[in-house]
Amino acid sequence: MTPTLLGRWHTRLILFLFIGLPITFLYAWYLSAWGLSSDYAISWPFDQVWFRLPPIELSIFQDPFKFLLALLIVGLVLDIAYIQIQRFQWDQDWPFAYQFFFSWVEFFLVFYAMDFGLLDFMFPDGRIPFSTALVHFTWVFTFSFIGVLALLQIFFVRWRFKGGEIGRFPIR
Amino acid sequence: MPIEISWQQSGSTERRTLDGRGPFRIGRSRNGEVILDHAQVSRLHAEVTVDGASVRVEDKNSQNGTRIDGREITAATWSPGETLQIGPFSLRYAWAAPVYEPTRVDLDPAPAPAVPREAQAEVHAGRVQFPGAIFERRTVPIADIRATGKVSAEVEYLAVGGGLGSFCWVDHLRCYGVPASSIRVLGVAPDKAPYGKYGRLCRASQIPLHERIRSNSISTPDNIWGFPGYASRELVRDLLRGRLVGFKSILQVFGEPVLTETYTPRLGDVFRALDLEAERIGWGDMWMHGQVLGIRKTDDERFVVAYRVPNEFAPNASRSDRERFVVVRYIQIATGYPASNFLPDLQEFKHAHPEVTAVVNAYEAHDEVYRTLEQKGGTVLIRGRGIVASRVLQRLYEARERNKNIRVLHLNRSAVTEGSKYDLARRQVRNDVQQQPFNWPKAAWGGTMRKRLEAATPEQRSELMKIWGGTTTADRDDWNRINEEGVRDGWLKRFYGAVQSMTYQNGQVVTRLEGREKFQESVDLVADFVIDCTGLVARLDETPLLADLTRTYDLARNRVSRSGTPETSLAGLAVSNSFEVAGLRNGQGRVWVAGVVAANGPYAVVDSFLGLQYAALRSVDELGSLRAPGVSRMGPLKSFSQWLRWCLGRSPA
Repeated sequence: MTPTLLGRWHTRLILFLFIGLPITFLYAWYLSAWGLSSDYAISWPFDQVWFRLPPIELSIFQDPFKFLLALLIVGLVLDIAYIQIQRFQWDQDWPFAYQFFFSWVEFFLVFYAMDFGLLDFMFPDGRIPFSTALVHFTWVFTFSFIGVLALLQIFFVRWRFKGGEIGRFPIR
Repeated sequence: MPIEISWQQSGSTERRTLDGRGPFRIGRSRNGEVILDHAQVSRLHAEVTVDGASVRVEDKNSQNGTRIDGREITAATWSPGETLQIGPFSLRYAWAAPVYEPTRVDLDPAPAPAVPREAQAEVHAGRVQFPGAIFERRTVPIADIRATGKVSAEVEYLAVGGGLGSFCWVDHLRCYGVPASSIRVLGVAPDKAPYGKYGRLCRASQIPLHERIRSNSISTPDNIWGFPGYASRELVRDLLRGRLVGFKSILQVFGEPVLTETYTPRLGDVFRALDLEAERIGWGDMWMHGQVLGIRKTDDERFVVAYRVPNEFAPNASRSDRERFVVVRYIQIATGYPASNFLPDLQEFKHAHPEVTAVVNAYEAHDEVYRTLEQKGGTVLIRGRGIVASRVLQRLYEARERNKNIRVLHLNRSAVTEGSKYDLARRQVRNDVQQQPFNWPKAAWGGTMRKRLEAATPEQRSELMKIWGGTTTADRDDWNRINEEGVRDGWLKRFYGAVQSMTYQNGQVVTRLEGREKFQESVDLVADFVIDCTGLVARLDETPLLADLTRTYDLARNRVSRSGTPETSLAGLAVSNSFEVAGLRNGQGRVWVAGVVAANGPYAVVDSFLGLQYAALRSVDELGSLRAPGVSRMGPLKSFSQWLRWCLGRSPA
């Protein structure tokens, strides 16, 4: 990949909207309805879904969204640093290996920031356990990585030439 | 080597350049290469054959006979300076002088080159018989064109060239929704293959089908999305065969260029994929055999394109029947590199010793060199250090496995001490050459460098391209090993300096290097073969069609950068960011270009697969915004549905 700064931001937002949010919605729903409640956890998935949806615990439902939002904001800021790192590469490119590595750096940054209490204003009812955050991020990361490798260029035919920016080329 | 024949006719000197072996026909017939219109000349009077340095003339049972310097001949050698008499005409010839036209290897050697060559000679001489006077105006009345009765098609879209640049454009048009019936392609490849010229260059420069080329996984001229790339396709194919080796390609794409060597696709895979896509989009149905002779604006906001069908594609048609017009609204021109170039001192040598076959250009067929070396051994002098030099050295390494008596002298002007510097990075140097995965830094295709260049002024552009361009090779482990082994084991030696002279002594080529500064003694390098690996000619003037367009419409050219490599030292047509040639706009009618024709413009990497795709994307996108017939805007859903059709191998629409 050879992203520009604007391209990084566009790509991050589009992945947030079309991959991060839907996955987080599903995961938050699962978590708030079945995940932490032993009554329902045993019977998940299919037998219960058909007959009676368990009630959603709103405070739990919100948490993954907040975590994703924190990831997004940290990512948008780090993008500025990444573009500086790129300047040290002759090809000014961003190898997939870097994309992989720094995605996980972002995850650990946000998780430990939360764990350290820096994000308590976002999580007044308690912090997210590591295993929960890890499962959540693994899903989001996997699909986002596939998005960067394949999905985006299938839907956005100009994306790969615009350094990750979405949209048409300007006419004149 | 071409010869130039000249004779007097109605008070003026006529000239005709004949390139190739011939036989070239002299006579009254308009089908001949040299037409002498006089009652004393038979329809087919004589034939000329060029064999190396000797020119032979054969009388073809003519009514009034053929004479050389007064001698009646039936078949004889014709030397420079001798006069060939046919009817009232006295013909002389000279080896086409490299002074104004460098010795070159033409890249469009259609199987029977007489006709295209002849057409070029006419354009050079400014006496175009067809389309003739009708093209003397800058804007031609459509009624006049129709009145000729020679219009073979009136369509919306025409691709001129028929090579990879044309293919990418047509592929985009088709995926954007244009039916094949609205598109025509004009080219001269005998089998309509879009990779005809490219394939010839690869073969000549020693890249067989199984060898990997310097291109990217996502540079897929058969697929406008770049997914799946060649690496994923290799993986799938290998898995289907029960092999796991394909994972190497994927790991390469993942780790390149920092953790692994950069992935590159196999030439054969690229060609096979192109064949499939050509089939899918109906490439063959859009194809017309034809050498384009000229393009003019029409008075109804379109263009008229004059072309001639080469002889071998319509053997029974008269020349006049083979000369036709296409009328079209939107054109893309992608005629590619016109020729490969010899270094000036090699040109001089070729001129002085036209019979010596030991000096070759890496872009012309020269397999004989390796065959001879494998049998007899010998010394080879390589000039130049780019990607082709690397591949030639690899080929010599392979030859050495059959015959250890092969030695390689590698000559360059000076040593490479440090790499080019841009922003915070410096290009890597290893084995006396700058290395990078592709011929430009990657970000020049679609990243920060593309954006920067597009926004730059012409002055800044040539400055930036000078830094990013230049001669480089790929950082391939095998090539590095060959270089290091060669130097260590003593069969490869590097020399530096300017060439003072080249002479031919006892069947060997002696290259004398100038003395320099404190070391004033000159040095002689003696070799059995010299291989020039310095590159291709990008001069627009070498393509008659472009020379004519530039002249007729006063088209602006890009600034010349001074980096000194053939690829970047000469400038192409000035184009907009979407590759449109402003000077050719004709109301609604527009002309775009792609490939080296647009060199040194807003996009650096024009002469690459991905660059051709980019040029196609930009121009077809613009057609979409102009609401051109059949062209969609290619939003996400259209893009996805077209991609599915690609995957299923279904025709675009």
